[in-house]
Amino acid sequence: MIRRVLGGDKDSFLDLIQPYQRTVYATMVSMLGSKEDAEDVTQDVLLKALARLHQFRQESAFGTWLIQIAINEARMRRRKLRHGRMLSLTNGHDDDGTYVPKDFEDWREIPSEALERSEMRDALANALALLEEHYRVAFVLRDVNELSITETANVLGITRGAVKTRLRRARLMLRDILLPELQQRGQLKLAFKEARKPWE
Amino acid sequence: MGVTCEEVWREISDYVDHELDAKRRTALEEHFAECRHCAAVLEGTCNVIRLYRDERALALPAGFHDRLQRRLDQRPSLGSEERAHASRRAVLAWALTAAAAVPLSFALFFAKRTSLPQLGHQTPWGSPDSHAVTGLVAVSQEAGDMVFHIPGCSHLHGKPKFLQVEEAIREGYTPCPICIGKYARQKKG
Repeated sequence: MIRRVLGGDKDSFLDLIQPYQRTVYATMVSMLGSKEDAEDVTQDVLLKALARLHQFRQESAFGTWLIQIAINEARMRRRKLRHGRMLSLTNGHDDDGTYVPKDFEDWREIPSEALERSEMRDALANALALLEEHYRVAFVLRDVNELSITETANVLGITRGAVKTRLRRARLMLRDILLPELQQRGQLKLAFKEARKPWE
Repeated sequence: MGVTCEEVWREISDYVDHELDAKRRTALEEHFAECRHCAAVLEGTCNVIRLYRDERALALPAGFHDRLQRRLDQRPSLGSEERAHASRRAVLAWALTAAAAVPLSFALFFAKRTSLPQLGHQTPWGSPDSHAVTGLVAVSQEAGDMVFHIPGCSHLHGKPKFLQVEEAIREGYTPCPICIGKYARQKKG
């Protein structure tokens, strides 16, 4: 398919990038915050990937190569916006201390139809935006884009251990942010309550 | 219980990712069977992952494909632009390399005359100037940008790989205009 794209076939290019568009967009949302900026940069990244396609060596998966271009592009965009300040995804402070998850007794499975509602999708986006950036990006690469822990570590230039630490924090914090948020928005109609800790 | 709640919270993410060995996994499962709180934390964590993994969460904005298609249509002709771009880059690469070759030659000439014994002890991870003197350039193994840099360049991101400048050009890398220019100016000064 890559050969066809390099030969000038536009439709093949759209087919080639189709499975990765959301992946790139989600990564950009996690790095840039604003949905508008994320769309703009996602389109730039996809067109840049087309311009550089002849450089793709197939040493890594196409999706990982795209994400690396996307992360570099987001870094450049952020550098411009912050007047030269470098964006680093490796220097964020990883809190190694034990995170104590809130004691919600019940967090039953939310039916997937709930995602049809824009309120539900907004709640997910807002919860994600509350995380510190280095937690957010690790979570999106691993849990949204479904990269392996090793791929996530390679893309971010950090160790597998650091990825695991960030994932643990991000997942537990999202759980604690989302539950009250969803209940407040009426997405969860279940009787969840602050429970007594079983060991007390 | 074999493990404490605190241990479970530290390892619950590894449990979800199947990163624990079988013995530890069983120990956590025994804990979940007895501790409602930790079972709820596990359930909530899995729910979070399941929700965000759904394509509808963080979905592309409406009209994204049309806007992308429009931008694609504005490009003159797919393929030709990329070939022209590659050709422009190659010309630029050769021009910049030729421009950098003069100060490099001077540097090599003076280095041989004045400090050759010391250079023999330097590793490729020495000071930026030592790379320049020996003609080594660095490329990022992670950036995927096919650009080579004078080692120490602030635009070099990720883990570097060192190559001879001729080798880098042969492999299709083009010079970073920032550090090549800076180096040339330094040597001229």
